[in-house]
Amino acid sequence: MRAIIKNGIGTFYPQGFLDGSSSAAILTLEDIQATIHNNSDMILVSLKKVIFFNRNGLDVFVKMFQKVRAANQTAVGFCDYDTKKYDAISRFYKDDLMFSLFKSQDIAMLFSSSFKNQNKNVLLFSDDKSQRAAMAIELHDNGHNPIIAQTQEEFEEKVTAKNAYDIIISDTFLGQMGQKVATRVTGNAIIYTVSSFLDAEISATFNISYHNNSLNVGFRLFIFDAYKVISMNVHALNFFSKLSSSGAEYNATICFIGMSFEKTPLVFKETLEDAGIMFFNQMDDILQNKELLEELGASSPANVKEKRTLNKVIVSELPNFIDATVATIEMMTNSQAIKEAAKVEKIEISNKEGKIASSLGFYGDIDGMVILVFPIGIAKKACELLIGEEVDDTEIILDTLAELVNIVGGKVKTLLSDQHISVDITLPRTYPNVDSLLEIVQNKKGVQVDLSFNNDKFLFFLTR
Amino acid sequence: MITKNNIDSFIEKIPPAPTVIKETLLYLNIGDLVKAAKVAQEDKALTLYMKTLVNKPIYGFRHEVNDISQIFGILGVSKSQQAVYNYLMTLLSPSKWKLFKLNKVLFYNLQADLSVNWQKILNHLHIEDKEIESAISLLPASIIVSEALFCDKIHDVELIRSTHPIDLNTIIKRLAGLDIFDICQRISEKWEMGERIIQIIQASSGVKPSQDEFINTLGKWMHLFLFYTLSQPKYIEAELNDFIDFQIDYVGDIYNDFSKLMEIS
Repeated sequence: MRAIIKNGIGTFYPQGFLDGSSSAAILTLEDIQATIHNNSDMILVSLKKVIFFNRNGLDVFVKMFQKVRAANQTAVGFCDYDTKKYDAISRFYKDDLMFSLFKSQDIAMLFSSSFKNQNKNVLLFSDDKSQRAAMAIELHDNGHNPIIAQTQEEFEEKVTAKNAYDIIISDTFLGQMGQKVATRVTGNAIIYTVSSFLDAEISATFNISYHNNSLNVGFRLFIFDAYKVISMNVHALNFFSKLSSSGAEYNATICFIGMSFEKTPLVFKETLEDAGIMFFNQMDDILQNKELLEELGASSPANVKEKRTLNKVIVSELPNFIDATVATIEMMTNSQAIKEAAKVEKIEISNKEGKIASSLGFYGDIDGMVILVFPIGIAKKACELLIGEEVDDTEIILDTLAELVNIVGGKVKTLLSDQHISVDITLPRTYPNVDSLLEIVQNKKGVQVDLSFNNDKFLFFLTR
Repeated sequence: MITKNNIDSFIEKIPPAPTVIKETLLYLNIGDLVKAAKVAQEDKALTLYMKTLVNKPIYGFRHEVNDISQIFGILGVSKSQQAVYNYLMTLLSPSKWKLFKLNKVLFYNLQADLSVNWQKILNHLHIEDKEIESAISLLPASIIVSEALFCDKIHDVELIRSTHPIDLNTIIKRLAGLDIFDICQRISEKWEMGERIIQIIQASSGVKPSQDEFINTLGKWMHLFLFYTLSQPKYIEAELNDFIDFQIDYVGDIYNDFSKLMEIS
């Protein structure tokens, strides 16, 4: 079974009846590993469409959870259940609950370090005092505002004021949480979450290829969420110093947020500052300060020292990229594409009005960047298949557009892999207008292909 | 990816029920098993199918049954009609399955599992009605339709489903405006299956409850029973478990009764 990955959470959706034999047929360890490989920092099995399960059925998943946690430190658990199912699971694993239980996906997302919509007012209740504390700390660390009900009575009283809270947490249990360097994108900044002890392990857990390709795609601000870091040793110090120096050629900035130097020599901070790394106490010190954001590069044009050019290998794969893009958009919009023109030039967008864009980096045997410029009409049509209704909210359209570009990336990956070319893809970046895209790519040379979908002009641009 | 034209062309290609089948069903309708068996004998494929089906362990016959008249005699009118409809369905099934990891044997097993246990459910509900008994034979058409429409789009489906929890039924509905069960209805109309069969199958989709309380109850039982069957490892491995969405709320009020009947604990 394949997982659906959203906001860093990979969720499996079994249906029907789960016993020992059916669960084993539904999910394998390889399915979970593949999901983790695709940038998931939490693995969940949804019980939303499961009408019956027994202990044997859940045991199959729990054993896999244990293996996955031991190998990857990924957060694992079940979600989407009612109180009856929660009580049953709690009864089955009374003294041995190493995994998490999230009543809903929305609750799970609050605890995922990849979730970008923070600052939620959360009413929280658990009859276990240590659980209440653990959840409140995690929520607070993730930038939310937890309101804790100490008793069932207090919870029932508070819950009546439903509008006061964005999310209400009950019937939830927090197991061991992840230790991976999780990644999320907020606006045009990439946020990495680091925790605990930073040592030589950081070079293994940090995805340097992903980071380098994010630089190439145009991200310039990298924030390390370090609230939960206890200490840093000299190996980690060297790692971050090098990371900062190597980003300098792109004019990139690295910031640390919430890092305490109680157990780390203060001289480390000075060394890191010398390497160009900046320190802030609160995430909002940066994210809510538009001027600072601009200064730090989250919305400024790229200033790349060495311009990379297209090479023969990439150009020879162009038909694959075009095919993947055209097939995906045709599939999502049920319309036919007509190729109008192709040229090797700097990107040229004749009519900038009413267009949005997305870019996606790929790296591995070959590397580069695909840029797609959509008339808003095509983007909305493509969104209809996934959302099921017409939408006008730009944020939802951009989010869905990112999913669509992810589908294009997945297709490219498969087509290239058929030719024994192995690539990975970055998270897609979206642009609400053409000007914000041009800030990143206007000086890059690439292959531009103009396409028309039912007379809507669509632009494909491949560059490095 | 899939347009209404694709669906229309698929429906157009569905062959009408062969004359032998029509005649067999006609005699079964008037309860004449002897004449039905005699006509059925003319179709070697039907004869072979009936033999294969009734000799499956789930039918529970101690000795192998080979003679077609004997098969009709043992099954009786209702189950014979159900078996003939099952055969009709196999005429639509592909020789090689691509979307689902099915083969002829597994598909026949699925038909047998559905038919025998549906009978158990109808006995429990005290329903004796050959049209309702036969309704179950149309259910696998939903699988055949999904296979036919998506077999060349497997990778596209995988990509869409890697970003969104969306079932094949919803994809077709959003792309072409009609769903898998509407297409099943078109098949059954072409084969002149009874009106109530169509209504039950539509309700069994779980997303189109019937206004008729009796039909709706049968739709609920069939929907839950389908997912009970598709939760068997062999069908999960065939990737049949999530081609349509299980509507857990739709079947909530009959679940306890169902679990007692099926001895689920």
